[in-house]
Amino acid sequence: MAADADGVVQGRRDETPTRVSSRRPGAARRVRRPRWIGFAYLAPAGTLYLLFVLVPGMHTLWLSLFRWDGVTVGTWAGVDNYRAVAENPLLRGAVVHAFVLVVFFSGFSIAVGLLMAAILGRHRRRGMTFYRVVFFLPQVVPMVAVGITWRWMYTENGAVNQILRAVGLDSITQAWLGNFTLALPAVGLIGTWALSGLCFVLFLSGAQKIDNSLYEAARMDGAGAVREFFAVTLPALRGEIAVALTITVVAALASFDIVYVTTNGSPGNTTTVPGLLVYRLAFTDGQVGVASALAVTLTALIVTIVLFIQRLTRETK
Amino acid sequence: MTMASRKAKFVAAGTIGIALLIAGCTPGTAKPTPSDQSSATGGEVSTAVPSDPVTLTLAFTDNPEMTDALAAAFHEKYPQVTIETQFTQFADYVKSLRLSMSSDSAPDIAQYNAALKDLSAAGLVVDLTDYENAYGWDTKFPKSALDMLRVDETGKILGTGSLIAVPGGLSLVGLYYNKDLMEQAGISAPPTSVDELTVDLEKAKAAGITGLSLGGLDYGSLHAWAGLMNSMTNTSDWRDWINGKGGADIVTADAIAATTLFADWAKKGYFPESANGTTEADSAVAFAKGDGLFLVDGNWDAAAIGETMGDNVGFTVFPPNSNSNKAVGTGFSVSYMISSKSENQAAAAAFLDFLSSPEAAVIESNGGFLPPNAKAAPPATGIQADLKAANETIVSDDGLTPFPDFAAPAMLDSLTSGLQQVVAGRMEPKEFLESLQKVWTAYHGG
Repeated sequence: MAADADGVVQGRRDETPTRVSSRRPGAARRVRRPRWIGFAYLAPAGTLYLLFVLVPGMHTLWLSLFRWDGVTVGTWAGVDNYRAVAENPLLRGAVVHAFVLVVFFSGFSIAVGLLMAAILGRHRRRGMTFYRVVFFLPQVVPMVAVGITWRWMYTENGAVNQILRAVGLDSITQAWLGNFTLALPAVGLIGTWALSGLCFVLFLSGAQKIDNSLYEAARMDGAGAVREFFAVTLPALRGEIAVALTITVVAALASFDIVYVTTNGSPGNTTTVPGLLVYRLAFTDGQVGVASALAVTLTALIVTIVLFIQRLTRETK
Repeated sequence: MTMASRKAKFVAAGTIGIALLIAGCTPGTAKPTPSDQSSATGGEVSTAVPSDPVTLTLAFTDNPEMTDALAAAFHEKYPQVTIETQFTQFADYVKSLRLSMSSDSAPDIAQYNAALKDLSAAGLVVDLTDYENAYGWDTKFPKSALDMLRVDETGKILGTGSLIAVPGGLSLVGLYYNKDLMEQAGISAPPTSVDELTVDLEKAKAAGITGLSLGGLDYGSLHAWAGLMNSMTNTSDWRDWINGKGGADIVTADAIAATTLFADWAKKGYFPESANGTTEADSAVAFAKGDGLFLVDGNWDAAAIGETMGDNVGFTVFPPNSNSNKAVGTGFSVSYMISSKSENQAAAAAFLDFLSSPEAAVIESNGGFLPPNAKAAPPATGIQADLKAANETIVSDDGLTPFPDFAAPAMLDSLTSGLQQVVAGRMEPKEFLESLQKVWTAYHGG
């Protein structure tokens, strides 16, 4: 049955373009339109992209070649700043921390999002909009507000410990952000909380596009809820997972706001991330050149990883 | 168009873009040549307030109420001068002020911060030395408070060279104590030496009371550790290190002893277990609520703590070492500098002078600061009276030391993370001091 449906769609898709183009008398002339017209359409978006992405990016690249304190005249440094970045042990730790955050921001968020989408997406329910709004809410709240709220919740008498005490777990209560081992996971869980909703909404919209007949077929073949999820839902959400993975991995690697407002790298540099060090170098240490070099390196790293994800999740035709 | 030629065009466009950028000038502002600075270099400056109406802008970050009141009081005294205040919250102040001071719309007067000391090397702030002589500021302001606002021509070394700012209100870090808890722990009087303080902390522990409320998530540990450094190390060496004087070294036997005592306090459980996960502000709140016998904190929290605790709280200088009678305390000031781009420098200097006036002293005192003109301060009661007495002791002993993070721009982060590790027993005192010296050397050179 599924194959039939696919076949129908396929046939229609093949037919459409020819039919449309043959009916349009102006089609042939339109091809001969001057080529610049295409660029004119691109111009508004292109100008914005040039002014607010490419030019500042190039400027950062340019600054990374100078020794500059942000005020007095800079001096040419060549690649020295990049060498400083490579040799900084604090930075290596920060990169490791960023990858730990990937587990929480991407791994856990996508897992939670998939689970919720699987539970809520199988049948049409009343009040679906309500669930969507509730789960999406963390995305709407500014990250700084999220961070400050969680910092309070993680304090000795904060909400997290109050809940633990209420269920009799007094022995493990502590100031979570002061623990050398647990501070980083604690920060990571904030990311999980903030990003799960986004993943859920993304997966839910993807799951609703799945043809119901596929589920019927699976059920006829005797698949249970779990089997159904792995055989039908998960493969169909491949594209959405790729999008979620890209967004969340970038959020983890480029994270700054959550860490800055919760721990600022504490305790003892166990939660530093590259974004935080870029900020410190540029705005407190007066080393704008090194900060720019680190930002360029971080961008290159993120672009490489995103390209890798795109490649990994590309649909095989 | 073929793919290859399209690519070639794209690359060409990119190359042109980069070439254009390279043609653009080197980042930063060049120091103005002496001829650009009309005043302040000539030697003769006037102390007369200009009679033409002028409006000055004042950029600041601390105490909006106090700043507005000072501006209003100055306007009342000299109606031709109007001061417009521009508030920026502290988190953004330093970086936004660096940009605005080098722009064409620089404020006339700006609140100073040690992170802005290099503005003088860039020629963006007025060297106030001539005004200091003309107005006689050396007799109007405490010496140690003025010396903290001097910076050498490189913009790196503090405590020497040109005066670049003038204090409007002094701050001081000291020891707050809870009188009820002292009685509970069987302590008759606040400690007068570091040894007594250690004994008192042990008594508190025996009585089941948190000895010292400590907020190590941000700056709390720094204040307590600096207290021990003030009392247990040579004051002039310690000051030289903070000021960045050539050849200064923090890895000394005294400094190791002070840091070791701090680490011992942590090991013995005199600090709350959650110290590293608590902010300085939260530790002050905990202390005010009665959790903690002592708190090492500045005068800026005195008003809030006094309001909650009333007569139950006292404030004293951090106790000196047993073999010394000299009180040494960490402190700084809310101080103001003048932009060299200002067209009304004489009026701005008159405002700086006004900060030492009796009218200003009342406003500064009400703002929770210690007025530079201490004699003109209104009579105080309770915690404010304790603060006033502590300040007078420190000033008469010439014992004010700057905040240790002034030593280098990256020092605050190193101090915070290092002390967290010392408190957790993850870093040896000597190793900690060596890590600080490394940051110091990276900035000042060996």
